[in-house]
Amino acid sequence: MNPESFPNLVNYVMHDSSMICLTFNKEGVILESNVFADAFSGKSLKGLPLTDIFIDFNESGATPFISFDSEQTTLVNLSTVSGLPETFYFRFYDHGDAILALGEANGKEIGILRKNLLELNKEMHNLTRDLHKKNAELRKLNDLKNEFLGIAAHDLRNPIGIIMAYSNFLMEEIENDLSAEQIQMLRTIENTSEFMLQLLNNLLDISAIESGKLHLDLKHANLIVLIRKNVGLNSVIAAKKNIRIHVDCFEDIPEILLDANKIEQVMNNLINNAIKFSMAGTTIKVSPFLSGGHVTVAVTDQGQGIPTKEHDRLFKPFQCASVRTTAGEKSTGLGLSIVRNIILGHHGKIWLESAVGVGSTFYFSLPI
Amino acid sequence: MITDDLYKMYLTYLLAGNRVECARMVNALIHENTPIKELYINLFQRSMYEVGTLWEFNKISVATEHLCTSITESLITLCYPLLFSAEHSGRKAVITCTPGEYHQLGARMVADYFELYGWDGYFLGADTPADELISYLHEKKPDLVALSISVSFNIAELQRLAMKIREQFPELPIIAGGQGFRWGGENALDNIDKVHIIRSLDELVTRFLTSQTI
Repeated sequence: MNPESFPNLVNYVMHDSSMICLTFNKEGVILESNVFADAFSGKSLKGLPLTDIFIDFNESGATPFISFDSEQTTLVNLSTVSGLPETFYFRFYDHGDAILALGEANGKEIGILRKNLLELNKEMHNLTRDLHKKNAELRKLNDLKNEFLGIAAHDLRNPIGIIMAYSNFLMEEIENDLSAEQIQMLRTIENTSEFMLQLLNNLLDISAIESGKLHLDLKHANLIVLIRKNVGLNSVIAAKKNIRIHVDCFEDIPEILLDANKIEQVMNNLINNAIKFSMAGTTIKVSPFLSGGHVTVAVTDQGQGIPTKEHDRLFKPFQCASVRTTAGEKSTGLGLSIVRNIILGHHGKIWLESAVGVGSTFYFSLPI
Repeated sequence: MITDDLYKMYLTYLLAGNRVECARMVNALIHENTPIKELYINLFQRSMYEVGTLWEFNKISVATEHLCTSITESLITLCYPLLFSAEHSGRKAVITCTPGEYHQLGARMVADYFELYGWDGYFLGADTPADELISYLHEKKPDLVALSISVSFNIAELQRLAMKIREQFPELPIIAGGQGFRWGGENALDNIDKVHIIRSLDELVTRFLTSQTI
């Protein structure tokens, strides 16, 4: 190197380089420090003991720990202005009264860290790819399942309907010629086929909803008329269990945009559930009311109540509450899931409040 | 549509490490129904080839090249909801990088192309050990295996891997490709049966993905 370049080099090391440059005496007192070292430690190091920056150095003197082999680097932990120690690679040069220390950041360590980060990143992208691929496969399987379910439910509905019709016919036409045991058998056929028909209808609804085929025929309609009609029909079933249903309505409810058949299905399901889980002698209350741009309908029973931890799963398909129906009525576990999807299809909301031993209130609200 | 101006803007953001702007541009293109193939070839592949050249000529650091790769890998993910919805034909391919090959982006794009054309593209990623690949091939029984190298010094490793596959699977077609062949080296595989060198994604489509026979 041209000797004339030395002052420039020293100037660069002292002011502009990104390496730590220090000189210190045999007692471990810093004699000179470059700009980078001062900035790194957050103070002017000149005159301070070496231990102010070299965390691991023994205060009794620095030299016994130092190798002056210029091929050898020594790992030194430094205290920094941020308070977090950083590791530097140091080389030490003996100049008689003073020792020169040159320290570089641990480039190798950073390199390893960067490589590891890149590998983790790649792994994450590959896992994301796998996840998307598996999701797509699951979506296709689910579509296939819905298609199968739809076909199966549709094809089974007719034979079940025929069984039900014939058992009805036998009960009406030849009941007097049958023994009590035979009548009981016919009733079992009738009840079971009725349940199966309901199950098939629910399966058809679920498969249509899950395939995104919930078509709503939205028209302006009077919700109160729908409620009263449905309460009237269900009162007959409720009366068999000595349960009363009444409608509480003190407000003028405007006509709203809805699919009358589907909302009737919702009402029927909620009232029917209330009947199934209520004891004799209790009352079911249906209360429509206005609430902030919505019409809300509450169906309240005085039944057994549902534990809070079961509330969320009630609206998922094939889920039932732990409480039992009061007269052995069957449940497909699909009704509330269908109801929820119908209400969501109307941009509405559905929820419940329940206390064990007191009763439950199922609410749904529809936008005005 | 990916115009030259749009591409240049994208490349500027990519080289600056601006993931957010790059993602905004890709999302806008997806929203405009830009075909996935156009995004892959005219945006992702073109920009990464340019990044590779800039690195080769020492215009950008290896850290910048890695950053661009990482951003591109994450942007590709944005296409996945469309990519994996294609109807599948039942044909399967296993796509992997050779042992020692750490650049996986090209291979991943190839795997995605298989998906786009209705194949199941199983991607094993960078630096896949030979034994791991062999056991995966036994498990998946693919119709084809694709090997990728991005740097030419992995050609010898590719040759060893292809021979190992051939020993275990005498009939399985092998395709090989990637930027590792940019300066030649295809003849290293001449002595191995049923190995095809693929020079571009278009060639992959015409020779394999849309072909009834392999």
